Amino acid sequence: MSRMTAADVSELLGRVAARDRQAFRDLYDATSAKLFGVILRILKDRQLSEDILQEAYVRVWENAARFDPDRASPITWMATIARNRAIDEVRRRKPAPADDGSALDRLVDPTPSPARQAAAREELGRLEACLDELEGERADMVKLAYLDGLSRDALAKRFGQPVGTIKTWLRRSLQQLQGCMDR
Amino acid sequence: MSSWEERDIEPLAAEYALGTLDATERAEVAARRQREEDLDSAIKAWEQRLSAMLDAVEPAPPPANFIDRIEDRIAGGAAAPGRAQTPTLRVDDDPRPGAAAAAAVSAGSSADVIRLRRRASAWRGLALAASVALAALVGTLAYKPALLVPQQDSRYVAVFQDDDKAPRFLMSVDLATRQVTIRPVAAEPAPDKAYQLWIVADALGPKPQSLGLLDNVSRPTRKSLAGLSPAVLEGALFGISLEPAGGSPTGQPTGVALHGTLIPTSTGDTTTGE
Repeated sequence: MSRMTAADVSELLGRVAARDRQAFRDLYDATSAKLFGVILRILKDRQLSEDILQEAYVRVWENAARFDPDRASPITWMATIARNRAIDEVRRRKPAPADDGSALDRLVDPTPSPARQAAAREELGRLEACLDELEGERADMVKLAYLDGLSRDALAKRFGQPVGTIKTWLRRSLQQLQGCMDR
Repeated sequence: MSSWEERDIEPLAAEYALGTLDATERAEVAARRQREEDLDSAIKAWEQRLSAMLDAVEPAPPPANFIDRIEDRIAGGAAAPGRAQTPTLRVDDDPRPGAAAAAAVSAGSSADVIRLRRRASAWRGLALAASVALAALVGTLAYKPALLVPQQDSRYVAVFQDDDKAPRFLMSVDLATRQVTIRPVAAEPAPDKAYQLWIVADALGPKPQSLGLLDNVSRPTRKSLAGLSPAVLEGALFGISLEPAGGSPTGQPTGVALHGTLIPTSTGDTTTGE
C-alpha cells in the first residue's frame, strides 16, 4: 500500500466507480501486492492466484460504486472481495492444499509489517487482544482458517479433533470474539 | 445446513466471513444474502471484525504488467472508454428496432448463428448447486462476470455476445418496472429454430429457468418480468439459446447459448469505444 492513505484509496475508488481507467491503474498499483498476498496465502498456487486476482480486480471495477466508506476501509473492502473469491475457489477444489505445517510457523512468528496506519493497528490490537482471550489453540485455529483458508476438515486434522468438535470450537470462538470486540 | 439453527444468522455469517463453511454451505449463504438483508449486514460486520488479521499478510507483488491482462478483461465488457474494439452501446428510452443495434454492429460482423461458439458444456454445469454453477459458468465467459453495481438508476443492459466479437443481442432491463427489451443485433433468423431466453439466479434454484421465446429475430422482444424481484434480476445471469422451433423440448437449454449479465447504464457514460 505504499504511502497511500485510506482516504486516497477511497478517492481512487470513487473515480473508478465513474469509470476512470487511470484511477483504476493507480488503485491497482496501490493495492495489488496486498490483494495478491491475501490470495496466494490461501491458494498457494501462483497461476491459480493470478486468475483469482484478475477476477477480484474485475469485480472491483464493476462494483466500485457499491463501496461504502462508512462500512469498511477501502483496502478491507477490496481485500475481502479477493479473499472471498479465493475461499470460494479453495472450497470448490478438493482436496484442500497440502498442509505442511508452514502455515502455523508463520502464525507463530509473524513478521510485523513496518508502517501500519494507526487505526488499523488499533483494530488489529483489539482483535489480537480478543484472540488472546480464546482458550488454548483456538486463536491459531481462527487465524489458520482466516489467513490460510483451512477448511474444517483441515483444521480437524491439524488439531487432532473430530470435525464436529472443530465446528463447536469455531462457533464458540467466534461468539466469544464478537462479545469481546463489541464490548 | 444440518447443524446450524436456521433462525440464527450470526454463526452462519461468522463462519461465512471466516471461510470455514464448505462449498455447498457457502453457495447457500451467498444466495441467501442476496435476499436477506440482515444476513448480508451480519456478514459485512463479521468481515469488518475479522479484517484486522489481513494486516498480518505479507504483500506479494503480482507479475509485471499484470494490470494489462485485467484491463483487457474489462475492455471485453462494457463501459470501457478508450477501447476501440468494443462496439458502441447506447441504451436509451427509445426501443426503435435496432436503434442500439445499428450502432453496435459497427464491427460489421453478421456472422451467422450457427457459428456461435458452443457453450453447451457451460450450461450443463448449471445442474450443480446454484452459486457453484454460476461461478463455473462465469468462468467460461469470454468477458467478465458483471454482477450488479449502483442504484442511482434502475436501468441495466446485458450484452449477449460470442467471444469478444459483436454483440448478438442487447437486453435492456428497467429494474423499477421489470420491463425487459431484447434487441437483436447481429443475430440472424435460423429456419425452424427459435431463440429462447433463460435466467439463472441463486434464488431460482440451480437450473436455468426459461423466460420464454423471442418473438422474432428481426424485431425487439419485450417481456415483463414482474414476477421476479429487482434483487434477483440484478444478480442473475441470462442466457439465450438456439432451440428447435417452439422452444427447448427438455425445459433446459439444449442448443448453443450466449450469456449476458446485467450492467448498469447509469455509471456516467454508457458508450464505449470510438
